[in-house]
Amino acid sequence: MNTITWLGAILLLLMVLIGGKNGVRSFISLFLNFGVLFIAMFFMLSPTVNPILITFIASILIGCINLFYINEVNRKTVTAFLSTMITICILLFFIVIVSETLMIQGFGEEETEALSGLSLYIGVDFIKIGVSVIIMSTIGAVMDVAISIASSMHEMFRNNPAISKKELFASGVHIGRDILGTDTNTLFFAFFGGYLALLIWFKDLHYSFGDIINSKIFSSELALILCAGTGIALVIPITAWINVYDLFRKKKAVEQE
Amino acid sequence: MNGFLTNRNKPGRKQISFYTVLFICFIVSILFVNHNYSFYDRPIAKVVQANLMEETNITDPVQNKDILYKQQLVAVLQNGEEKGQSIQLVNEYSASGAFDQEYNVGNELFVLLEKDPAGTIKSPAIILDVKRDKYVVLLAWIFIFALLIVGKRQGLFAIASFVINVLILSFALDLYVKHSAVNLLVVCGICILLFTAISLLFVSGFTEKTYAAIVATLLGTFASLAITFAIIWLTSGNGLRYEEMQFVTRPYKIVFMGGLFIGSLGAIMDVAITMSSSLFALYERNPDISFQAIKKSGREIGRDIMGTITNILFFAYISGSIPMLILFLRNASALGYTLSMNLSLEIARALAGGIGIVLTIPIGLYTTLFFIKRKKAGV
Repeated sequence: MNTITWLGAILLLLMVLIGGKNGVRSFISLFLNFGVLFIAMFFMLSPTVNPILITFIASILIGCINLFYINEVNRKTVTAFLSTMITICILLFFIVIVSETLMIQGFGEEETEALSGLSLYIGVDFIKIGVSVIIMSTIGAVMDVAISIASSMHEMFRNNPAISKKELFASGVHIGRDILGTDTNTLFFAFFGGYLALLIWFKDLHYSFGDIINSKIFSSELALILCAGTGIALVIPITAWINVYDLFRKKKAVEQE
Repeated sequence: MNGFLTNRNKPGRKQISFYTVLFICFIVSILFVNHNYSFYDRPIAKVVQANLMEETNITDPVQNKDILYKQQLVAVLQNGEEKGQSIQLVNEYSASGAFDQEYNVGNELFVLLEKDPAGTIKSPAIILDVKRDKYVVLLAWIFIFALLIVGKRQGLFAIASFVINVLILSFALDLYVKHSAVNLLVVCGICILLFTAISLLFVSGFTEKTYAAIVATLLGTFASLAITFAIIWLTSGNGLRYEEMQFVTRPYKIVFMGGLFIGSLGAIMDVAITMSSSLFALYERNPDISFQAIKKSGREIGRDIMGTITNILFFAYISGSIPMLILFLRNASALGYTLSMNLSLEIARALAGGIGIVLTIPIGLYTTLFFIKRKKAGV
């Protein structure tokens, strides 16, 4: 057995020991998510298919797996799902503009060594693939924020049915703020960890501040972090608003009966 | 700090002055990056004219079809002795743009000027890179404003802890690079102590629950690292393709381990602070609650967050490999080879992070219980 199988086995064991049935589900969802990413990548191999469309479809599938399979289909998960998809759509437009103006698609000159011997003229649109990478990196965190806000707002509304629209919205945003800090932290450190080698490279080769900030590889990493943070901030008011709308529509329907 | 950035209806004086200062910073920095040519040593040229010269359909050795373009550019130098002078540039780019791109009027480029003995610039000059700084700064401001508008105080704290952590990491790496006797893992270990303390103090202040979360994070990180180390040692890294690591100027195993160390830290902190703040909230709402009840709720909370946080980490790690995978597969590399070359380290990182997350649930639970017990005894 190699290292990865061992690590996977230990993770499964721990998840089952600590999480029981939920643990098994979480482990399976990891596999399913991997499957979706993998299949999405295969579709992106074809030059005739638009990678952004693929990303959008993959996001829907990932949303279904993580919201409807791990939890279940109910009002909370449906509103969380809607909020996630709306945020992803807005982010898609935003990131397309960002990567076109920054020209951060594809590979940087620091990666030349890894690319030697490979043909770069493969007919696939790398700008769109770059957009897809950013969306996929962020979607986990966006969903997490959406589901946390949706479930606490439902709780709030259930315990306190006389609450006003404004107060309910404020409570949703308030919960979102608490998660904002920790989730951006999770992503920041994940990216730092992944690019430790790059940072040491910059230091070792005495890049100046100007060289670093203008280099393709650094600006694309920074764009990834900044877009992810913006996405997490964006999903908070969207989820709060959708839940206010949904809960008050339900309240109105109940009152009319 | 009372009322700072929190009172929505009546903006306090502090708040107004904060936003004024921020707005001034925004204007000044944008003006600066748009007029900072003289701060660069490398010549910068602004494209004023772009003409498409040629368009060629090509097929590479593995039958991929692409289009190659050649464009001729006229650009005006923005700095240096030749400021204001026009130069000719030639740019070749492909439709897929894996390594190149089309330039349009208004783009600013770093160029390499070669002069003949008479001192005139050789034509065409060579394009080195794009000047991206002004867009990077603009994007950073969009991020800052989004976090501040939505997150108010928490947004500000998230930005502050991010900036401080980046500075610490940069300083630590400087030390490491200058003094090669220092072990990277020691540097990372110290960084982790600082990152954890700073980030968690920013998230929830100087409270018992923060201390519990700090202790739980450190225990969780070191426990998961010990397990990962042991596994890599026992299997002698079989299946990990270190060759795929890029930008390696140092012993790659150590660099990988250091990255692993830092990468899962954020997720582990997330688990630790969620556990400790929700359990402390339970205790504060009802100080007579039994430890048995707290344990039960702790397990429930842990089960709920385990899956989502592992998924966040998983997506953040794996997605980055997509462009390389596509490039390999379009170059007719075998699937198994492509996957093991490009994904083995990312998957190992994600799994190690997952182990850390799951381990931190019981660790966080018992650490928080210990702190609650201590508080109870103190009362």
